[in-house]
Amino acid sequence: MSALSEAPPAARPQLGPGTWAALVTLLAGALCLIFAPRLPWLTAWPADWVLLDTKSLSAWLEAALRFIRPAARLVSALLAYPMGWANALFLATPWPLFIGIVTAIGWLIGGAAMASLGFLGLVFVLISGYWAEGMSTLALVAVSVPVALLAGLAIGLLANEVPRVKGAVQVLLDVMQTVPTFAYLTPLVLLFGFGPVVGLIASAIYAAPPMARNVILGFERVETEIKEAAIMSGATRFQQLFQVEIPAAGRQIMVGFNQCLMAALSMVIIAAVIGGFNDIGWEVLLTMRKALFGQSLLAGLVIVAFAVVIDRMSGALAFERARHDRRVALAILGVALLATLLVWWRHPDPEAFRLLTPLAEAVDKGLGAFTASQGATLDALKNNAMFYGLLPLRIGLDDSVLPFTWGFQWTAWMSGAWFAVAALAGLALALSGRVTAGIALTIGLGIIETGIAQLPWPFVLIGAGALGHVAGGRRLALLSVVLLLAILVSGLWDRALLSLYLCTASVVACVLVGGALGLASAVSPTVWRVVRPVCDMLQTIPLFVFLIPVLMFFQIGEFSAFLAICAYAVVPMIRYTRHGLVETPPEMVEAATAAGATTWQMLRDVRAPWAAPTILLGLNQTILYAFSMLVIAALIGTTDLGQSIFLALGQADIGLGVSAGAAMAILAFIADRLVQGFARGQREALGL
Amino acid sequence: MSDAATPAISCRHLWQVFGPNAKAELVSALAAHGRDGNAAAAELRAKGLIPAVQDVSFDVRPGELFVIMGLSGSGKSTLVRCLSRLLDVTAGDVRIQGEDIATASKARLIELRRKKLGMVFQHFGLFPHMSVLDNVAYPLRVQGIGRAQRQAKAREVIELVGLGGRESAFPRNLSGGQRQRVGIARSLVGDCEVWFLDEPFSALDPLIRRQLQDEFLQIRAKLNTTIVFITHDIAEALKLADRIAIMRDGKVIQIGTPSQIVLNPVDDYVREFARDVAKGRHARVDSVMKPAHGTLAEGPSLREGMTLDAALAACVAAQAPVAVRDGAGAVVGQIDPADLVSALHVEET
Repeated sequence: MSALSEAPPAARPQLGPGTWAALVTLLAGALCLIFAPRLPWLTAWPADWVLLDTKSLSAWLEAALRFIRPAARLVSALLAYPMGWANALFLATPWPLFIGIVTAIGWLIGGAAMASLGFLGLVFVLISGYWAEGMSTLALVAVSVPVALLAGLAIGLLANEVPRVKGAVQVLLDVMQTVPTFAYLTPLVLLFGFGPVVGLIASAIYAAPPMARNVILGFERVETEIKEAAIMSGATRFQQLFQVEIPAAGRQIMVGFNQCLMAALSMVIIAAVIGGFNDIGWEVLLTMRKALFGQSLLAGLVIVAFAVVIDRMSGALAFERARHDRRVALAILGVALLATLLVWWRHPDPEAFRLLTPLAEAVDKGLGAFTASQGATLDALKNNAMFYGLLPLRIGLDDSVLPFTWGFQWTAWMSGAWFAVAALAGLALALSGRVTAGIALTIGLGIIETGIAQLPWPFVLIGAGALGHVAGGRRLALLSVVLLLAILVSGLWDRALLSLYLCTASVVACVLVGGALGLASAVSPTVWRVVRPVCDMLQTIPLFVFLIPVLMFFQIGEFSAFLAICAYAVVPMIRYTRHGLVETPPEMVEAATAAGATTWQMLRDVRAPWAAPTILLGLNQTILYAFSMLVIAALIGTTDLGQSIFLALGQADIGLGVSAGAAMAILAFIADRLVQGFARGQREALGL
Repeated sequence: MSDAATPAISCRHLWQVFGPNAKAELVSALAAHGRDGNAAAAELRAKGLIPAVQDVSFDVRPGELFVIMGLSGSGKSTLVRCLSRLLDVTAGDVRIQGEDIATASKARLIELRRKKLGMVFQHFGLFPHMSVLDNVAYPLRVQGIGRAQRQAKAREVIELVGLGGRESAFPRNLSGGQRQRVGIARSLVGDCEVWFLDEPFSALDPLIRRQLQDEFLQIRAKLNTTIVFITHDIAEALKLADRIAIMRDGKVIQIGTPSQIVLNPVDDYVREFARDVAKGRHARVDSVMKPAHGTLAEGPSLREGMTLDAALAACVAAQAPVAVRDGAGAVVGQIDPADLVSALHVEET
């Protein structure tokens, strides 16, 4: 690059791969635009061209599943036993004793802070009146987590011991991470039948990959010399593994345990969608459907309390080293026993302590009053965002600009003018030396005119291929195109574009808001002190709970879905932006200071370029978060792939469920690989 | 222990090539070039493979302290991993006390490592989850030796390396020098007969390094082990070694005693190493001594094993050749002071 800038200005600048990719995409877009009016199949994939529709896929899959169903039913019958035991145990344990046990464990793990966290969390559950439901949920987690832990450990060990399968295992884990949560459920329902066991199995399947990932990572991070020292000590492979490598990887494995627990809890709650079995997830869903938002919020907070207690305690297990006096834990247990004798004896029913119901009702009333008085404002907010932001992005200016909303009708003449302006703006940028940026601007303006949901498929395929080529070479380009083609021939293209649109809209919002918050947090420690606990909290809350507050204010609809996705997906953007900006090597900062840079110059010229790869990774996480929330958001009214997956679950339509789930996974997978490719390029450019 | 005639370690035509299909590629490259190692290595490099150790052969005598010296990337750490079979050699023969290591079974290797081999690592390789005592006792634990017995033995060795009192500390609580003492103690607890040290002092700062070198020599004097010591530091090599092998680009280019290396560097590469060395402090009178003939003048006499600096100081006024005597006082040779001076200044030419 430096050689280029030193070349005399008369020399014709050579076009980089990025510029070529942008040019090819622009050309494809222009051609599609010209021919679209005459060739309707450019925008709408004809039904005749669908090679594998969801119905025939259903038939195929059901035929295949018939063979394993008896085995699956056996497993589910067998699993019903430990589940029954766990349920009975958790429900039969007197509540003061349970609170005491958790508090004592909290003390052992993290001293007074953890003990009080456990105590307060469970007391909240008690007075919320959802003790029994909460215990059912915990019982499910208690059975699914050991299964997931063992499976994860086994997969990790396998990948470590048999290097040949490691690559395949890692690809499988990548794919499992991108498959949306509901998509797991449909085949499982068909295999295992409705009921709590499906939730158990789904949660075990969902929670095993993070464990496996961390086990693999932990083994990789054990220093070579530590492994060699074990070998040279004359240890057998078994001794090396269990006496040295697993303990040395202990911290990473504990991180895996933490993530495994959280994933299991999250999935147990989501699995409530397939059937009520008196657990807390079902309670949230039920109250949400009845529009009892106060109750729903209360139940949601119970989930949050569980999540926070479980997360902080298992997290402390990985990072805390201090030991705490066992006698205090015993004393806590003693007090709990005493309380059991004194209180529980007379009030064995935790329902007696339901203290927060009036509060929930008050919230309901207050909310009703608020929406009644401020309804106009809320509606205006929602409608403005829909009409001037989301809709144009979805169906394009040409279809969304109507006299009813914008005050005038979009005409073909306006389209022409828009494209001319786009071309001129792009040209101006290109002439000032930023050719790629110019072309990208033109393409972007073109997309806004057309709308993401109405993009011609050849343009999307060529664009993805071109991006893939820049980010990861020919293989990624080919992979992207082939995978997108698979969505096309399965007849889910229109819904996939809707997912793409909703995801793009939320990611753009997250980048703007999250980037700004990250920047502010990087510049001002005070801001970070406020933002950080909020981020921690948002990351701990199971996806489901995000739906409650948006529903309270904006009812069912795309805008609520958009808000829920943003609330969940904005966190990584904030975190990574701040982290990248703050973690600039001190010697670079000192060099810039010595050169006389102001704070803003430092931010722009030194910190931002250094942070770019980190911020890209944050973007990557944000995209993946958005995709996973997209499916949950189907509960509150969307029309995309997520909705198909959700519908498939309700109708036990395995073909639709699997293909929509796969399509969603494909979109997330391609986005993930593209952004990772760009991040890698940035890191290499910085010599990292 | 095998008899003294068998080398403690012997390797012949040892190759370690990294890359896909290394074994087959090496065989075909050697066949194509009539067993010419350099040409074969060049061909392997051209194909994108990495010949980290090329056609290395040497013997280490029982009880010898054999130093392998080279810059980073010269293949010395790879070589020591071939000798201890932490890596499977691509081709060639490694024998420890006459026993073929390269083809030893897994069970036999474990047996050998438990009974005969010890190894110290550059970055210590301590087990982070074990105390000093448990780290040191680990080689005994894997043999199934009871807790009391192995801890007693470990305490002895910890005392030997001067860490008494820190038994219950964890590696993270120790300084670099202390950590390496633990590493040394752990490698010694099994009473090894062959002791590999892979740059044991390179990660330490110079003051601690010198202190540990001195202690290492003291420990060595108490033991009767054969030692293979890896370093990139010429001063360290000269200070410790009985013999030094110098490695460059995967090849051993010179093997000799410290004096031989300093006084007769085999090529510019070795001369470059030797240039910065205060020769008088490392070369011994033996290297410039000639057989005694005729009667020698009375006056100062030199002793076998004296460094050149000491010799020069002792006979600075002498004009005629000076006698060199052994420990018992018998004359073993003579030295012309002029030879002494020219040996010390060979560099300036």
